[in-house]
Amino acid sequence: MFSLNFTHFIVLLKKEFDIEFRQKTALNGILLFVLSTVFVSYLAFQKIIQPNVWNALFWIILLFGSIITTSKSFLSEQKGRMLYNYWLYNPRQVIMSKIVYNSFLLTIVSFLTLFLFTIFIGNIVEDLSTFSLILVLSSFGFSSILTLMSGISVKAGGSFTLTAILSFPLTFPLLLVVIKVSKFAIDGLAFSVSVQYLLVLILINVIVTTLSYLLFPYLWSD
Amino acid sequence: MYKYILSTILLLSSFAGFAQDNTVEMADGFYKEGKIYVVITILAIVLIGVAIYLFTIERKLKKLEDSIKDKK
Amino acid sequence: MLKHWWKILALLMVLYTIIAGFLLPVPRLVILNETIRSLYFHVPIWFAMLFLMGVSVFNSIMYLGNSKIKSDIVAVQSANVGMIFSILGILTGMLWARYTWGTWWTTDTKLNGVAITFLIYTAYFILRNSIEDDQKKARISAIYNVFAFVMMIVFVMILPRMNSSLHPGNGGNPAFGKFDLDNTMRLVFYPACLAWILMGVWITQLRVRTDVLTKKLLYDENV
Repeated sequence: MFSLNFTHFIVLLKKEFDIEFRQKTALNGILLFVLSTVFVSYLAFQKIIQPNVWNALFWIILLFGSIITTSKSFLSEQKGRMLYNYWLYNPRQVIMSKIVYNSFLLTIVSFLTLFLFTIFIGNIVEDLSTFSLILVLSSFGFSSILTLMSGISVKAGGSFTLTAILSFPLTFPLLLVVIKVSKFAIDGLAFSVSVQYLLVLILINVIVTTLSYLLFPYLWSD
Repeated sequence: MYKYILSTILLLSSFAGFAQDNTVEMADGFYKEGKIYVVITILAIVLIGVAIYLFTIERKLKKLEDSIKDKK
Repeated sequence: MLKHWWKILALLMVLYTIIAGFLLPVPRLVILNETIRSLYFHVPIWFAMLFLMGVSVFNSIMYLGNSKIKSDIVAVQSANVGMIFSILGILTGMLWARYTWGTWWTTDTKLNGVAITFLIYTAYFILRNSIEDDQKKARISAIYNVFAFVMMIVFVMILPRMNSSLHPGNGGNPAFGKFDLDNTMRLVFYPACLAWILMGVWITQLRVRTDVLTKKLLYDENV
């Protein structure tokens, strides 16, 4: 039984990638958004050398970018094009495939943002490896929270505003921990200082992914 | 020599007086004048007012619920 | 009249809190002075709020299981009263902070936590308002409620233990160690917590009954 579920999961995952490859909707939109915001910041700040400001700006841009990215994940369901999914696939498979796909997408977006920051505003991160680890972990966490919220908002007939209102407060615990650790990575502090926060990050990821996994079937049954 | 020992002992023993801790300012004067009962009475009146309000709502709800039950 | 015994008990306990809270002696601490008595009112309100939010999420989960509108009504009304209590808690806390810490607000993890809680549950009510159909509203807001409650617990319970804070009992220690609460204060504090929880439940019950009546009378629903 487990192997059957896993094949379904892979099929769904592949489907997400295929859609993206064919239409490139999400990636293009997000590329434009990140490029514009980083460029505007560059015009306003020139080069940023204070860690606080760099850190805050990076995560604000990334947060908005993440919300935009994940808000597209349920668009096809809204238009009813993928109606057969209701009957064929276990909702748990659907949400997990969307979460994994979105994490992948968000990881790309995070590194893209970092790259753009490096070009325009400057890269003041001392400990790049820890920072990269933070990016990967936070992408997964944000994906879990934001995918479920985008699903809720779509079902509520909602706009982007609703998605934003729902998502922002829920991402704050994750955001606070992430900002704190990335500050450590920027300052180049030893890994041992960051370890406990990284563990909290993993813990939060586990909690939110479990929640999304458990709650999504109720959203789907319509 | 003995003068020093005596004065040290007296100095150290004076620390026992700190046990009462009158140094932290509290509202002792307020209490001595009995004003605290005014505060308590005010709060009690507020509480009784809220209680009366809540029980009024209770009575209204009960009337409505009974009338619905009778209609059925 | 016997049905209402616990409401009378709640009122009597609040009365006891008021009388004993002011007449019984308190530890003489610097900075706090007499304001330590605020502990009898400010903190029980928070515990009552946590209890009510717990009731709310419990009923949301029940709704997801049994799809009865009554569960959803209890969920939303207890969240409502919980919000009211949280506003009271924030206001009383701000006033207390102004005279002891010297500022209305500060960057303290617990304060962040309560601000976030406020935002989270405001979003809950906004979500409910944006859906018309009752069953759909109940189901979707129940899903959000569960997520919101868990995040709130993460925020107000777990994160403060990690950071230092101005709040007594934080910075590594769980709240209410023996340094913060001596035995005389416990005599007033525990009854106060119970009293305000009961008051919160009473007010929620009134609101639930009102909501049920409204639905029955105006919309002719079977609740």
